[in-house]
Amino acid sequence: MTALVAALDAMLKTVDVRVLGRHGVGSGWLTVVIEGVVSDVEAAIRIGRSEAENHGELISADVIAGPAPGALASMPHMAGAGTSKPVGSLAMGILETRGMVPLIRGADAMIKSAPVHVAGWTSIGGALVHLVVRGDISSVQTALQAGRACADEVGEVYATLAIPSPEAGIAPLLPDPPNSDGREEDAGALGILETTGYVSAVGGSDAMVKAADVDLVRLVIASGGRVDALVKGDLDAVQAAVEAGIDGAQEAGELNASCVVSRPSSEIMACFGGNTVRNTSGLHQAMGLIETRSTVALVKAVDQMLKSADVEYEGRYKVGYFLTASVVRGDVGAVRAALNVGAGEAERYGELVSAHLIPHPYPALEERLIH
Amino acid sequence: MSAAIGMIEVEGVAGIILASDAACKAAGVDLLGWESIGGFTTVFLGGSISRVATALKSGEEAAREVAGHVVAAPMTHPEPACREYVSNEIATERRTPTGALGLIETRGYGAHVTANDNMVKAADVRVFNVLTVHNRVVCSLILGDVASVTEALPVGRASIETGENFLGAALIPKPLPDVLWAFGP
Repeated sequence: MTALVAALDAMLKTVDVRVLGRHGVGSGWLTVVIEGVVSDVEAAIRIGRSEAENHGELISADVIAGPAPGALASMPHMAGAGTSKPVGSLAMGILETRGMVPLIRGADAMIKSAPVHVAGWTSIGGALVHLVVRGDISSVQTALQAGRACADEVGEVYATLAIPSPEAGIAPLLPDPPNSDGREEDAGALGILETTGYVSAVGGSDAMVKAADVDLVRLVIASGGRVDALVKGDLDAVQAAVEAGIDGAQEAGELNASCVVSRPSSEIMACFGGNTVRNTSGLHQAMGLIETRSTVALVKAVDQMLKSADVEYEGRYKVGYFLTASVVRGDVGAVRAALNVGAGEAERYGELVSAHLIPHPYPALEERLIH
Repeated sequence: MSAAIGMIEVEGVAGIILASDAACKAAGVDLLGWESIGGFTTVFLGGSISRVATALKSGEEAAREVAGHVVAAPMTHPEPACREYVSNEIATERRTPTGALGLIETRGYGAHVTANDNMVKAADVRVFNVLTVHNRVVCSLILGDVASVTEALPVGRASIETGENFLGAALIPKPLPDVLWAFGP
């Protein structure tokens, strides 16, 4: 994302072209489509091409002289065209990381190191996530430096970018502002556990809420098949919870990263916290989770599970990047039997990622599940 | 609920469209819909046990023309919950589009803008839909009469070869309305 923002900003600063729209095709690939008179568009593409090449991120660039009228109007980049958010005059900083653990750690450091505010965050696939801060240029630069250093300690920084005076036309590339309802809560500490797949995130969350007095804040999809579980509470409790969560996640599937942020800024809590609460009345039974990298394998597994044991189908979840999971309920014995059958059936048709039993899920976990 | 449901899973979109059309034509099964999990797409077919078996065989063969990963599986007397996996159910109340269907699939989007523009200019075809199933796979669907689509596809392919990774191209001379409904805009 940083390379495309840098390229587009440079293009718009030099020539008079208009952004028609953007389209992302997953795994971090993004396209921007511009229009204008032929010589301007040619000049803009020249500038954008060289800027993207400087970042080592160019995939392709092309100019269509005289596009057929209306022929491309229904293509996906035109969706959302014309709905422009204001860009404002403050300098802009972007921190882009692989996975949310370094992003949240870096974002907290940015806010604490300089007077900047978070203008939003989002993912573009391939586990790439980025966060935008605004402020005066020296604050943005200080923040990016601090953010990069702290993010580096817990994960991979993909890129950073500072733009002293961003062009209004880059708006289609910017994330939506954080969904803050003014309810910025304080927490002693924030713990983040990142897994590959849904089942390991649920397994890790279950271990966290059972190990210490923490609240499960939210489960977040971070693209590239990554799922993040966020907990808050006192520092000691969060540390104990994350340690238990690491074991729980590894038992259920694959763990990517984890970290504990002490005294997270309230802006970070507002940005990454959530308050969606699922209705959990009547859910007191054991939970069986099965995850595959194939729809056929999962559907065959679920069909056999429902046929072979006294379990009920509850739901499914897709976390992207080939991963898909389902949840069944029943008493412990029935769920265990169903998972055995399901795991065997799934392996006949595709890759089994997890088959995991939670005998007694706590309401604290149930309320935050996203399936 | 059908006596049997058949599923065919492939990587990308072009393969699943070819499989759907071939499967339905071979055995007269119902196209229930399809779904994507970010890379793999799966089509769901409903019908009698023997028809589904025949359909899966033809669909699998057709998919192998353009796709590497192909998995097919039947379910007899499927549990009702299995229906929940069909996330793009076909909506048959829409007006039936007609014509031959041309498919071009690549990794990356930019080249489709150029390719579709070139195809529309080169022959009497229209852009019917552009499907993105993440994992970078993008498929353009163009409609026109057989001659026009036949003329347009090499033009589209030529403009993609200079750009992004070409994955496959195919022509369905007489696509079933169900297929156009299922994969249309």
